[in-house]
Amino acid sequence: MPVGRKRDPPSPASTPARSRLLRRRQPDRPPPIPRGECQQALPGAAMPFASSGTDDAFDYLFKIILIGDSNVGKTCVVHRFKTGQYNEKQQNTIGVDFTVRSMDIDGKKVKIQVWDTAGQERFRTITQSYYRSAHGAILAYDLTRRSTFESIPHWIHEIEKYGAANLVIMLIGNKSDSLDKRQVLFEDACTLAEKHGLLAVLETSAKEAQNIEEVFTLMAKELIARNTLQLHGDNPPNSIYLDSRPVITSPSVEKNQCLC
Amino acid sequence: MADNLPSEFDVVVIGTGLPESIIAAACARSGQSVLHVDSKNYYGGNWASFSFSGLLSWIKENQQKTDVSDEWDDWRKLILENEEAISLNKKEKTIQHIEDFCFGDQDSAEGVEEAGALPKLPVFGAAGAEGFAQESEEARAAVESTVPESTEPEKATGTEPASAREGSDAEITSEDTSSHSAALGESAGELGQTEAAVPEASAQEPKKITYSQIVREGRRFNIDLVSKLLFSRGLLIDLLIKSNVSRYAEFKNVTQILAFREGKVEQVPCSRADVFNSRQLAMVEKRMLMKFLTFCLDYEQHPEEYQDYENSTFAEFLRTQKLTPSLQHFILHSIAMVSETDCSTLEGLQATKKFLQCLGRYGNTPFLFPLYGQGEIPQCFCRLCAVFGGIYCLRHPVQCLVVDKESGRCKAIVDHFGQRISAKYFIVEDSYLSESVCTNVHYRQISRAVLITDQSVLNTGSEQQVSILTVPPVDLGKPAVCVIELCSSTMTCMKGTYLVHLTCPSTKTAREDLEPVVQKLFNVNTEKDAENEELEKPRVLWAVYFNMRDSSGIDRNSYDRLPSNVYVCSGPDSALGNDCAVKQAETIFQEMFPTEEFCPPAPNPEDIIYDEDEIAPEESGFSNSPETKPEASTEEMSSGGSAAVEKADNEE
Repeated sequence: MPVGRKRDPPSPASTPARSRLLRRRQPDRPPPIPRGECQQALPGAAMPFASSGTDDAFDYLFKIILIGDSNVGKTCVVHRFKTGQYNEKQQNTIGVDFTVRSMDIDGKKVKIQVWDTAGQERFRTITQSYYRSAHGAILAYDLTRRSTFESIPHWIHEIEKYGAANLVIMLIGNKSDSLDKRQVLFEDACTLAEKHGLLAVLETSAKEAQNIEEVFTLMAKELIARNTLQLHGDNPPNSIYLDSRPVITSPSVEKNQCLC
Repeated sequence: MADNLPSEFDVVVIGTGLPESIIAAACARSGQSVLHVDSKNYYGGNWASFSFSGLLSWIKENQQKTDVSDEWDDWRKLILENEEAISLNKKEKTIQHIEDFCFGDQDSAEGVEEAGALPKLPVFGAAGAEGFAQESEEARAAVESTVPESTEPEKATGTEPASAREGSDAEITSEDTSSHSAALGESAGELGQTEAAVPEASAQEPKKITYSQIVREGRRFNIDLVSKLLFSRGLLIDLLIKSNVSRYAEFKNVTQILAFREGKVEQVPCSRADVFNSRQLAMVEKRMLMKFLTFCLDYEQHPEEYQDYENSTFAEFLRTQKLTPSLQHFILHSIAMVSETDCSTLEGLQATKKFLQCLGRYGNTPFLFPLYGQGEIPQCFCRLCAVFGGIYCLRHPVQCLVVDKESGRCKAIVDHFGQRISAKYFIVEDSYLSESVCTNVHYRQISRAVLITDQSVLNTGSEQQVSILTVPPVDLGKPAVCVIELCSSTMTCMKGTYLVHLTCPSTKTAREDLEPVVQKLFNVNTEKDAENEELEKPRVLWAVYFNMRDSSGIDRNSYDRLPSNVYVCSGPDSALGNDCAVKQAETIFQEMFPTEEFCPPAPNPEDIIYDEDEIAPEESGFSNSPETKPEASTEEMSSGGSAAVEKADNEE
């Protein structure tokens, strides 16, 4: 059931940015049956930490990957999300692996890691490991350039191939501030998204801050909902985290060996 | 290609194997502009991992002997008068004697496609076409592979009624418990023994896996061309942690060390807990073993214990110790993993000590395996390189290196589009060098076999075991065969199957070297003619044998006419660990940039302060981050150091 969503701050200059939630969550129904992925690929690293009272305390941590052709504004979207600012001249950020922001969603502190492609989308050489432990993916196209939209099936296929089975995917059409140059109809985007079972389609503008917050809020809400279901589901909660932790060590706690 | 490449870089790296990828990452990390290319459409070269269909197309590609003729010669025009060209290989020549066998019913697999494979889509422009090339190729391979390829027809005629199962999809599951896994952070020891409660699925009639299921679930497989493990105190782990590249990968502990003795597979007790819990060892043996292992940990302090045997082999030394034959076997083959005939006492003690020191860092065995296969590791370093501005091109063959006659230095490459790209340093993987450069080089070979089986070689309480097994040679002096068995929770094979890798330095073809071991451990017959005894062994569903060139340890001077600023990286070696590749990468990096640090920790993204106005110089920004950063959670630690590291884009 398509459900319309209202955009946030109306921008006087342009027509309303549009978004559509394609699939409504039904909390009492279990999440789609994973296609046989190992448990660790499930909400896995979304660890509802019982955190120890520091500033860094959070209830959920989600890894979200951003994918799409070059110059659709991926980095600007992240930048807007992180800093609330927009950079006219596009910057290629060196040395930044991912961006982190904490959000408050229904009283839960949610930490969102947004991973950027590091320019590897340019020649379609994104490494498989980029997809591996993501909980959500945001697919971006530039609604003023048809070709970027036509690449979307390719990116969806990559996600299906390398990503976890129940990855939440959203589609965003960026640059909704330049509607006069529109080459992709919102309806086309919805058709595509429905065909591939994506969560939602939103038209965004990193420049005018349209729908950026919504994208991440929507994603976070969906992930929380799925994660909650998971925890109350059949799987013993312990079995999902084990593998899904990054390699992090502290030499100080290592034992030298078992013997002696 | 949609975009043109810049025509100048500091470093051009050709090949995406592990050493090349580490060097690329190290260079980009130290501020060099890096172009990293591979002629293949996948990362990793001979270090790659493939889905099942991907492996089938790789096999096909390597079985075709046709040489690509140099149809296009125009690039010679780009070579100036005072320059000469060293042309590079277009065709992979490092893989030989590939033979693959299917032991299931292939006919029933007709028309089966890998799940998730895209139907062929209309192509959107040139860039799109390239992107799809790989996928459609894979999908095609999945279909083509249903045509029997086996050279052994009698084995290909499985009689199993595969079609019966074909319709039902989800039934192959067995209880999947990841209880053995370990994030590197855990100091382990306690880990591991907890899986006893796992419901035993073997009580039920074991489900038969058919070839069509393997094809359909093909994308669950991540099949390594080279089979290696990470020593938990090896150079690679240290580098992954130091550079923060570890954040891109996940690992699993090897859960058991096995030995093959008197026709039986047994578990080798190696940690203190193992020794005490062992049911196969008598009390006396436990004491002997503990005493000996304790001695090995600081054998240097007790030279009197081994001095008299310094000129003997380790095997002879072990015979003089108070150890039963089975203990001697365990120590020699499964712990030290050394040759019975040519390993000296000191080398053996060293190897034993290394093994023991790695124990307990992350679990009760010394080894880790990367989830999704070894092929992830080079890619993780490539990601680091890209994050620091490195540019990546796959499917990008290079025609030649351009050498300045006067200085003898390499100035540029010419790629397959005829673009000339200049650089200061060039890293080339050995297999790209043409025969004219390698005439004096003597390569060794590695024998490899990969099997998909339906059971573990050792049935224990848990189905999710990752095991390493050393099979000693029948003829003394021949190499031992290293067997690594991976379960589905390593994300390298579908549920209900095991992926078994066999490796040894070649003496003959891979099949001649390894088939005897396969026959000892597995049931390679079809059900009807199998003896009872055979039926207890795991059944091989599919197998491939091949020889891979081992270009490690080659002296730089054996390459002909190699310009001084061209560095050669070797392909995988036959050793179990990855030390060789890491050492080589570090050495080459230090030769190029003696004053630069090798892969210092990348800053924690959470510490980066976005500052629009001030563009901080890269180096000063990073130097703040603490030296040994990777502790505690990479995600969470907030360190004092922060850096604003934005660079003006040169893309558009």
